[in-house]
Amino acid sequence: MSSVILRNVNKSYGNLPIVKNLNLEVKDGEFVVLVGPSGCGKSTTLRMVAGLEDITQGDIQIGQRAINDLPPHKRNIAMVFQNYALYPHMSVRENIVFGLKKSGADAETIKQKLADVSEMLKLDDYLDRKPADLSGGQRQRVAMGRALARDADVYLFDEPLSNLDAKLRHHMRSEIARIQHQYNMTAIYVTHDQIEAMTLGDRVVVMRDGIVEQVGTPMDIYLQPTNTFVATFIGSPAMNLFEATIDGDDLVFDQYRIPASKIANVDLHDLGSHDTVLVGIRPDFFEDSALSSPSDNLFEFNDIQVDLVENLGFDKEIMFKLGGEDAKARLDLRSHVKRQEHISLSVDLNRVLLFDTSPQGMLINAGEV
Amino acid sequence: MSSILVKNEARLGLKLVAPAVGIIGLLVIYPILFNVYLSFFDVQLNGSKTFVGLDNYTDLLGNPRYYHSIGVSVIYLIGTVVGTTVLGLAASILMNQEFRFRNLARGLILLPYFAPVISVVFGWQFIFDPVNGIYNHVVVDVLHLTDTRENLIGNPDSALFVVILFDIWKHFPIAYLLFLAKLQSVPKDLYEAAAIDGQNAWGRFWHVTLPELRFVIATVVLLRIIWNLNRFEDVYLLAPNVETLPIFTYYQAFAGIVDQGGAAAISVIQLLVLVGLIWLYVRKVLKW
Repeated sequence: MSSVILRNVNKSYGNLPIVKNLNLEVKDGEFVVLVGPSGCGKSTTLRMVAGLEDITQGDIQIGQRAINDLPPHKRNIAMVFQNYALYPHMSVRENIVFGLKKSGADAETIKQKLADVSEMLKLDDYLDRKPADLSGGQRQRVAMGRALARDADVYLFDEPLSNLDAKLRHHMRSEIARIQHQYNMTAIYVTHDQIEAMTLGDRVVVMRDGIVEQVGTPMDIYLQPTNTFVATFIGSPAMNLFEATIDGDDLVFDQYRIPASKIANVDLHDLGSHDTVLVGIRPDFFEDSALSSPSDNLFEFNDIQVDLVENLGFDKEIMFKLGGEDAKARLDLRSHVKRQEHISLSVDLNRVLLFDTSPQGMLINAGEV
Repeated sequence: MSSILVKNEARLGLKLVAPAVGIIGLLVIYPILFNVYLSFFDVQLNGSKTFVGLDNYTDLLGNPRYYHSIGVSVIYLIGTVVGTTVLGLAASILMNQEFRFRNLARGLILLPYFAPVISVVFGWQFIFDPVNGIYNHVVVDVLHLTDTRENLIGNPDSALFVVILFDIWKHFPIAYLLFLAKLQSVPKDLYEAAAIDGQNAWGRFWHVTLPELRFVIATVVLLRIIWNLNRFEDVYLLAPNVETLPIFTYYQAFAGIVDQGGAAAISVIQLLVLVGLIWLYVRKVLKW
């Protein structure tokens, strides 16, 4: 295993920049997830580490080796492709040991690795089959096996679960997490699925338009997103944002006055330089006031009219209007709110985030972690 | 209900293929059967026939010219099949790379295949003309590789290689076309996976390109064998002194001492060999 360091990495096609000045250090044994919407440059970044795209500017280092000018077959990396890219004329067994053989492993090691990998991924029964005779989930496991069998410095995953159905995706997600911990792999994982990012990553890199918006642990990113893009991209349903005017120490929207002093880590002097701010409240942090225990720091939005209730089993998502915007809250099964009812929702002010109204929408308060 | 549908459909299918079966029967099966029939007779030009049993076959098998033409045909087949396949493969891989004017180059490569045989044959004969040809001019006068001007087409031994070269040049575009079509459908990520698995360009060719092309290569080889075992016009027009099997058969049937029964015997043997070869090939190589 090795660390991976990207230093001032740029990639452009002609005049079109794809990745802009990216800096990232993946530590030895760390699982880093690159996440962002399509076209944000996450896959391109991964492919530059793999050597499948050349680097327009900057350096990439694996361990102590500068690899900018090394072709992929000399980088000692393993990769799982989105479409699996299994060799169609080879059996599952041959697919798995193909890279291992090339790396010059002896017959005993190859046999041992094959046995390990096929047991771990439950491929024992399929070793003699060709990829064409496998289901999507089985192919995905073979692609994983082919990468895991290698003794690579770093393992790269390019949206490996995006072609699986929901149930299988969930299962393989847990498998990947388990295997990565077991082998202490250095891994870079690209996905557009924020649940995969949150559940798999030791650290998550949120990207947009070729720029890294935030790097942090999943909980950092969930609780302290640096700007409104990260705040709304990570978390489902997305964070609610309401524009509020500042009136003395209060943030005002609709008929509500939120005392700014009770929001975590807010510097009132700093706030004084803004006329308006964006108030960010995650749907998960709303509670049905009828059920919440009274607390000093609770703010109550009363007279909320419920437009829609979506029952998800344990959770229910309700939609309503707040500050002139469509808003969502996630309540648990104890709440019995109905459509068209008028209810009160409470929120712990320690969980409320404030963003400025600049185009970037930067976080103002630090938030409670 | 469904079985009635199936029956009706089968009946319709029979009706639809009937005309084709009729035409094939008339134009292919009947001549083959008649040919087998003829091979047991001594056939005169006026049409009178005398039954001679297996005499045509025993005469043939005792004729050294027959064995010579088999040898020439084998060399011709191996040379042309290997040559067109290798050259077609090389051209298709080259034309699958990105470069300027690629589309133009892709089209130009097909020209030999489109050109009428008779006109390019004259061109080739002129190239190798012992007095005025560019070949002798370059080899003797420019490069001084040898002092004597050779009549490469006039000498049957060297003419065989000119004929092989001509066939490769004329027919590699069809191999190229089939290979290129397949190459374009090979998923790019297979090459990427192979690169990640430690394979350099040669390894990627060996482990990705060749296996992907396998069936197309096998098909091209099969087609080339069938075509070239029966190839007549290219060889006869360019160098009638190169006696491949079809040329030998032609001389037997229509030139000098006309022996149509003997010629029929040759083609019967050739047909059996070809059918046997193709059967083996389809079972073992194409695995249909």
